[in-house]
Amino acid sequence: MTNQNPPANEAMQYQICLRGQLNLAWAGWFEGMQIALDANGNTLLVGTIVDQAALYGLIKKIRDLGMQLISIMPVPPTTLESDSTEQ
Amino acid sequence: MPIPILATKLHIPQLRPNGVMRSHLIQRLDAASHASLNLISAPAGFGKSSLLSAWHATSQRPMAWLALDERDNDPSRFFSYFVHALQTLIPTLSSASLRLIHTQPPAIEQALTNLINELSVVGSSVSLVLDDYHVIENHAIDQALSFLLEHLPASLRLIIATREDPNLPLARLRARGQLHELRSADLRFSLDEAQLFLNQAMGLALSPADVAALENRTEGWIAGLQLAALSMQQQTDRSRFIASFSGSHHFVMDYLLEEVLQQQTPAVQQFLLQTSILNRMCGSLCDALVSNGTNSGQQMLEQLEQANMFIVPLDHERRWYRYHHLFGELLRQRLQRSLAQQATTSLEQLHIQASIWFEANELELEAFEHAAAANDTERAERLIEGKRVPLQFQGALLPIMAWLQALPTNVLNQRPSLWVTAAAVWLATGQVNGIEQRLQAAEQAIDQHPLTPKLHDLIGRIAAIRGTLALSQNDASQIIAQSKRALEYLAIDNLSFRTSTVWKLGYAYQLQGKRSAAKQAYEQAISIGQRSGNLVTVVLASIGLGNLQESNNQLKLAATTYQQVLEASRQLALPAANCGAELGLARIYYQWNQLDQAEQHYQRALQAAQLLQHTDREVACYVIKARLLIAQNQLDQASLLLEQASAAAHQHRHTTQPAKIAAEQVRIGLMRGQVQQASQIAQTHQIPISQAQVFLAQQQPSAALALLQPALTIAQTNSWHDQSLWIKVLQSLALAALEDYAQAQQVLKPSLISAEPEGFVRVFLDQGQAIQNLLSHINLTTSSKNYVNQILAHFTTERMPQLYPTTPSLPEMLSQRELEILSLIAQGHSNQAICQQLHLALDTVKGHNRRIFEKLQVQRRTEAVARARELGLLNQ
Repeated sequence: MTNQNPPANEAMQYQICLRGQLNLAWAGWFEGMQIALDANGNTLLVGTIVDQAALYGLIKKIRDLGMQLISIMPVPPTTLESDSTEQ
Repeated sequence: MPIPILATKLHIPQLRPNGVMRSHLIQRLDAASHASLNLISAPAGFGKSSLLSAWHATSQRPMAWLALDERDNDPSRFFSYFVHALQTLIPTLSSASLRLIHTQPPAIEQALTNLINELSVVGSSVSLVLDDYHVIENHAIDQALSFLLEHLPASLRLIIATREDPNLPLARLRARGQLHELRSADLRFSLDEAQLFLNQAMGLALSPADVAALENRTEGWIAGLQLAALSMQQQTDRSRFIASFSGSHHFVMDYLLEEVLQQQTPAVQQFLLQTSILNRMCGSLCDALVSNGTNSGQQMLEQLEQANMFIVPLDHERRWYRYHHLFGELLRQRLQRSLAQQATTSLEQLHIQASIWFEANELELEAFEHAAAANDTERAERLIEGKRVPLQFQGALLPIMAWLQALPTNVLNQRPSLWVTAAAVWLATGQVNGIEQRLQAAEQAIDQHPLTPKLHDLIGRIAAIRGTLALSQNDASQIIAQSKRALEYLAIDNLSFRTSTVWKLGYAYQLQGKRSAAKQAYEQAISIGQRSGNLVTVVLASIGLGNLQESNNQLKLAATTYQQVLEASRQLALPAANCGAELGLARIYYQWNQLDQAEQHYQRALQAAQLLQHTDREVACYVIKARLLIAQNQLDQASLLLEQASAAAHQHRHTTQPAKIAAEQVRIGLMRGQVQQASQIAQTHQIPISQAQVFLAQQQPSAALALLQPALTIAQTNSWHDQSLWIKVLQSLALAALEDYAQAQQVLKPSLISAEPEGFVRVFLDQGQAIQNLLSHINLTTSSKNYVNQILAHFTTERMPQLYPTTPSLPEMLSQRELEILSLIAQGHSNQAICQQLHLALDTVKGHNRRIFEKLQVQRRTEAVARARELGLLNQ
């Protein structure tokens, strides 16, 4: 009843774009998502999100920091490295 | 169980001196004060709460405030605070709504209906602010609030401040013009406001270009402007700061907080970071967390407040504070980072210190939350048990469930008591499913450990919880088996479990008809419960005791017991107790033939019963109501009600009610002359008393007697006094039908004598006209005679139904004087002797004799005596 891992197919790679640049030290705050900064002065959070509940939890954290959410995109694992700045 | 109310959650934030007066927004709020819902929806840091406190300070409107937090996702907790907040403005609001909220399970909709009714008679209009509504994620609360909004009386206007739009029917309210909104576009500081704020309120004397740059960079975001102002207070070259801030792409708060922190002394920095783990703080709590520095926690808090350091006082006394949510969130992130870089203190240690302080100050819920945050399982578990009342009954069900659910299974297996705690917490939610699973997991885990006294007690707790599960199914033998096992294993000083276990035993014995064992158990439960302060069990055991007194024919004692229960349960909000006591009183007043009072108690019992799901209480209420209707000769209505009750009892598989329903249906059948139908029902349900009633109606008194005698033996062996009385009344009717009046009187007389002091009436009246003859001729002492006359008076004032054919006509009633003379004749006295003894003239005595002979239809004195003995007119 507790803490079983969710079915593997629920976990997804996401790229979340936020307005304004966050210090890289924030990575620990967002459940291990990696932080990247783009040329437009935005922050990209990139990483695996285990399920929808975790995704909503993350969105709430962003809301509670008063940050502007620009986009949320699931990304195929292979494209992660190549063109993460494309919106 | 009432929830402890923190006054700080109801405190209206004070208006900051020198703030920017946002008159245009206040005017909009004033103009929209008629709207059912005023929604202030914008991200963190847009000045929602400040605006509302400014509105409160300038407007004449009475305003109440409720600052929400995550724990308020429990509907009982949410609405409990809701009502308490309203009571700060409307002291006339009764606590009836609160009682409904605190029932188990909570009756939120009934509570809101009650609240709406009470508010609709309040003349003036008040506003209630629900601040930080975005923390509410429980849809049940959204739904309840939607219901309230649909029926909102004019006396209440709601204001919701939130970071996300609430899940309420906003479109519908908007279409009806009942919604007014202020959103981020409305709340942003305009250039003028930014100018006023930076240069007047914060005294920074910036150039118009600098103000414009800041306004542009922060996009009018108030928290950003405020933090920027703080950063600049000690800057010498403000323009340069603004230029570099404007040129950076950094997240506004991230950038500015760094600036602000760096301007503080190391002591202040440490204070800010370490206290950021607290949802609210006071001086001594801060002292417990932050040891270094020369200033006390209280001085530090006041200093931060003066410096406008995003700190919000939570009371007028400047005792409790909290950080502005956004600022706190940023500080916590910094704390995590700084702790990762040094090894002197850990986050866990900080939480443990907070937990210790809260526990020492008897704030158990917050003590638990910090223990859980510190991952101190042992401490958290101990705190759940609570000093007096387990934490799950103090409005902390959700945090505890969340904590338990997040614990890995191997942690639970290491500490089997956690499995049992989990089972107990789930039991408190009323969800029966999954409890047995947890108990079995606990047992398996116990097997892996050496048996310590603590685990021994735990085995007892497991059995006790199983006993409670069996109780919900009325499974007497299982309750007894588990309760006995529990009492064997539970620690001697575990009084709270022992009390409720002994009560369960009493309940099971009562189900089995073992009344003296039940009485003993109830009395024991009451005595232990009173010593250990377990009032809930005391009240429940008292109900059981009342039931037993009632069935022992001690009606007056039982009525007193029930009244005491009602008195005691007033604070406890236990509908089960209220229902039990009101039902008992309804039955007793019915028996006393005070039908109006019985009806009132029935109504109150029904109200309480409707709050109890999965029990037979509502059906039990309908049985009483049917009796009342039958007594008022409204047979059709009674019959309809019984059919509904029967269908409900069948559907929910109630075990004890069907026989009671059938007994009333038999009486109705007999009153309507539908003997065949009544006979079938009585046979199906195998109720000896009803079957005997049918035999009487069928003029088969011998068959009735043949049934009643063994039933009486069983009743007498088990000391079922209520059954015995009823059976004897029917026996006397059967004997009278056989014209064995002497025997009939001999059976009835002791019953009447024992029934008199307790005031029984209906047990006789419910037999209809047949009993009138019998009662009229009974030969009793004066005091009992008065009692019988009172019963007989009902036959002259009310139309009594006829259940059975009236017994063969008895001779006309002899007067008291005639009975006196007859008994002297029977003793062999001559007429002369009788004259002397009674100081009467001989002619008078002869006249009496003549009338006695006429009435008894005899010719001679010896015949008269024989006939009188036959009729039971003479004392034996």
